[in-house]
Amino acid sequence: METLNLALTWVAMHGYWFVLAGIVAVLCVRNPEKRRPVVRVLLTVGAIIVGSIFLAAAYGKMKPLPGFAWSWPSVRTSLALFAMQVESYQILSPTAANKLAHFLPFFELFLGLWLVSSILRRWSALLASLVLCGFMIAIGYAYYHGLKIDCGCGIGPAEEAGPGALLRDGVRFLLPAVVVTLGSFWVRRTPDVAPAPQDATDAAQLESLR
Amino acid sequence: MEVYTDYQCPSCRNFYENTLRALINDYVASGKVYLIHHDFPLPMHKYGYQAARWANAAARVGDFASVEAALYDNQDAWGSTGDIGKYVSAAMPASDFKRVEKLMEGCEGPATASNDPYGVPHLLSVAQVSRVCALDAYINEDRALGSRIPVQATPTYVITYKGQRLPAVASFVSWPILKQFFDSLLAQ
Repeated sequence: METLNLALTWVAMHGYWFVLAGIVAVLCVRNPEKRRPVVRVLLTVGAIIVGSIFLAAAYGKMKPLPGFAWSWPSVRTSLALFAMQVESYQILSPTAANKLAHFLPFFELFLGLWLVSSILRRWSALLASLVLCGFMIAIGYAYYHGLKIDCGCGIGPAEEAGPGALLRDGVRFLLPAVVVTLGSFWVRRTPDVAPAPQDATDAAQLESLR
Repeated sequence: MEVYTDYQCPSCRNFYENTLRALINDYVASGKVYLIHHDFPLPMHKYGYQAARWANAAARVGDFASVEAALYDNQDAWGSTGDIGKYVSAAMPASDFKRVEKLMEGCEGPATASNDPYGVPHLLSVAQVSRVCALDAYINEDRALGSRIPVQATPTYVITYKGQRLPAVASFVSWPILKQFFDSLLAQ
């Protein structure tokens, strides 16, 4: 399990480089016929990257504390600890913070699996982008109010909420999600380009078939 | 649970009144949680260090709990005037307050500079030693402990369970949320 988590965390933390490279690759493909399949492949990989972000985040929030074995009581302890982190943002009431803390990790698990499956990808990516926007707004709110808190994202080592965390999380997490969202909607909207006839004979044959 | 606080810190007062009080009355009283208080007066609070001296003196005579409550309950009042003794005396019997005043002799000046983790200055002259407040050693020891964590804001708390020390948390937590965490730990 820990090996899988390491792999997911690595993909989550470094996947944005692939997304950036993918954007460059798409821009380099000038032929619209060839661009679309390239975009489709990149979107599938991008969705896996964004999905890894949420799967790693869910794991980070639910994994047992050091010295505890995996069990439902140890998961409950981890979720209770996460509730303390959510409350530290001082945005929600204790009751609301507690409910969110017990809902969010399972929601992240579901969203991560949904993204990786690439089923209805544009909607899963849109939801992921909105969730990440909300997360960054929360970090910004905490920083604006001078709260020194752990950002609580659950991925990698704990880091204090601040402009640095905002910038890093924006590039690492939000950028890939937004790119996958926009790309998925673009692919959906853009019709397939029909292959052009090779010569006049082919054109005549096509006309006769009509 | 170890807590690092400054008596003149408003967040610490909020933490004490909304969380620690309930924790002490419930889980500390029943032996579920062992609470350790550490002083961590911050430089920007003019009377924070002096308040810590009074609290330590009260602890020596066995009146720490009532003085701690009095300090937080009247934080606004003594925080503006510096007249801490007035509220300390109201929180204990007169005989205890006389003993506290004796302990506070020589503690009117600024904090003793700590040249080692136990706050014992080295190579002081006889005149300097006579002016050292004996209570400062305890406060400086707490600050040295906090600096190793490091404590960067107050309140900060550290929870240790079965030898496992969890990362320090420097933010407010409400009693229901903290209680839930303790319950889940104790259930394992």
